[in-house]
Amino acid sequence: MPLYLPIAELSMNIFLVIGMGAVVGFLSGMFGVGGGFLMTPLLIFSGVPPAVAVATESNEITAASVSGALAHWRRQGVDVKMGIVLIIGGAVGSFIGAQVFTYLRSLGQVDLMISLAYVVFLGSVGGLMFWESVRAIVRQRRGIVPTPTPREDRHKAWIHALPFKMRFRKSRLYISALLPLGIGMFVGVLAAIMGVGGGFVMVPAMIYLLGMPTNVVVGTSLFQIIFVTALTTIFHSVNTQTVDIFLAVLLLFGAVIGAQVGARMGLRLKAEQLRALLALMVLLVCFKMGLDLVVEPTELFSVGEAGVH
Amino acid sequence: MRRLLTIFGMIWLAATGGASALVTDLSNKRIEIRYSFNGADLILFGAVGSSAVDPVNDDFDVVIVVRGPEIETVVRQKQKIGPIWVNANNLSFPAAPGYYAVAASRPLADIASDAAFASYGIGFDHLPLLARTERGLAAPHPEFRRALFRIQASQDLFRQERDEVTHVGEGLFKTDIRLPANVPVGEFLVETFIFKNGSIVARNRIPLVVDKEGFERAAYDFAHNYPFWYGITAVIIALSAGWLAGVLGKK
Repeated sequence: MPLYLPIAELSMNIFLVIGMGAVVGFLSGMFGVGGGFLMTPLLIFSGVPPAVAVATESNEITAASVSGALAHWRRQGVDVKMGIVLIIGGAVGSFIGAQVFTYLRSLGQVDLMISLAYVVFLGSVGGLMFWESVRAIVRQRRGIVPTPTPREDRHKAWIHALPFKMRFRKSRLYISALLPLGIGMFVGVLAAIMGVGGGFVMVPAMIYLLGMPTNVVVGTSLFQIIFVTALTTIFHSVNTQTVDIFLAVLLLFGAVIGAQVGARMGLRLKAEQLRALLALMVLLVCFKMGLDLVVEPTELFSVGEAGVH
Repeated sequence: MRRLLTIFGMIWLAATGGASALVTDLSNKRIEIRYSFNGADLILFGAVGSSAVDPVNDDFDVVIVVRGPEIETVVRQKQKIGPIWVNANNLSFPAAPGYYAVAASRPLADIASDAAFASYGIGFDHLPLLARTERGLAAPHPEFRRALFRIQASQDLFRQERDEVTHVGEGLFKTDIRLPANVPVGEFLVETFIFKNGSIVARNRIPLVVDKEGFERAAYDFAHNYPFWYGITAVIIALSAGWLAGVLGKK
């Protein structure tokens, strides 16, 4: 059944759209990730203009993060103060990212930027994650128990040397506000140019760089993602009019159903195995994106309206 | 179908009632893009009348050109820079038709000479296309012009030597006009040319409008005229849909 999307200005099969939402929802439910880094490439591969894919996906991530964030909020799993600092950074980053996005779009280079960003970030995050999970699996087989680092030694010396220290009670931290500001900003840039929530960068950064206790990490990250992707949606709407609400709602509909099934499947697998699988998937998307950049295209020319991809 | 028959009847009446000119009509002069829009098929009916050719005894050819709104179009060429393929060169056509279709009763080469088509500006090769350069508007590089045609043709936006005009008899003819789902919105012109012995003996033009309608039009206008409020609306919808999904998901 074809459905005409008035903002994307193309006709798509409604079941294909819901199906894509369901597949990504399934995977994100299984692995406990947002899924933006899978959904945006999938939309691009299925013929949606990359700029529309990125902007629309921001809109969908806002919706997809709400229920998770609410659940963590009820469990006291959100460090609001830390979240606000991350949001301020994220707002600045998202604004910068959206400006760069608009500028490159006018030059016809936004597709290239999206692909390069995906190859670099998915490549490095996927590689690290894969390496780490394989190591964990091997260690477990050999029966080695890693020695936990004492809480006092979590931070490197340069982190203690940073100014503008703030106390984050919920995270039991006393660190410079510049650090979460910087992380938030970086994630905001990624949200605007890649159509992702940025959890795959923020969660490791919160654990390893900030040293936040794991029980508030996911909730706080979701809390930040809601606000930053909402801002990103508004920036893209104003700058390029590429947010398609209808596409976003259909994707969300599929994702909600898929996530329910995926979450049940995920319970049957071990954490390390899940991470290794997720890493493989991330690397696969990265590989496909990279391949499209490197292989000589069959059609060297492309046509776009002025100022459009 | 009833409407078609009425048109057909009226044209036939017009054509047979004494000395008359070329007349044409479309099965639908206003194409509305709605949520289920997946392209449109129109039928053009026409009668040559009797002023230019004798519809019964003369051999004549029909060429129908449908031209969509002019849109600033950029053609980009990828080049290998280092290990990757990057959009390197681009050429802007300030007024390329967003849709262009030529239907004819015979292969164009059999109807008239290339020079004749060139002088009438019929056919993609004879479109007066200009490109924007540093020194003002100039003839485009042929490679970019060919690329424009090739890509638009692959999207069904440019159609030439693909649709046929059929003679119904007694000077009546018809053709199908195919508008793909990605057709640009705007004002179209449907021009009909009657050829005899390689030159034009009659011509006429009728307008055709393609526009987004109803909800689709409202959504598009909202997004483009009030982008900030559109963004806010998108966020509110996302927040409530997400909340709703969470509530339903628990059950």
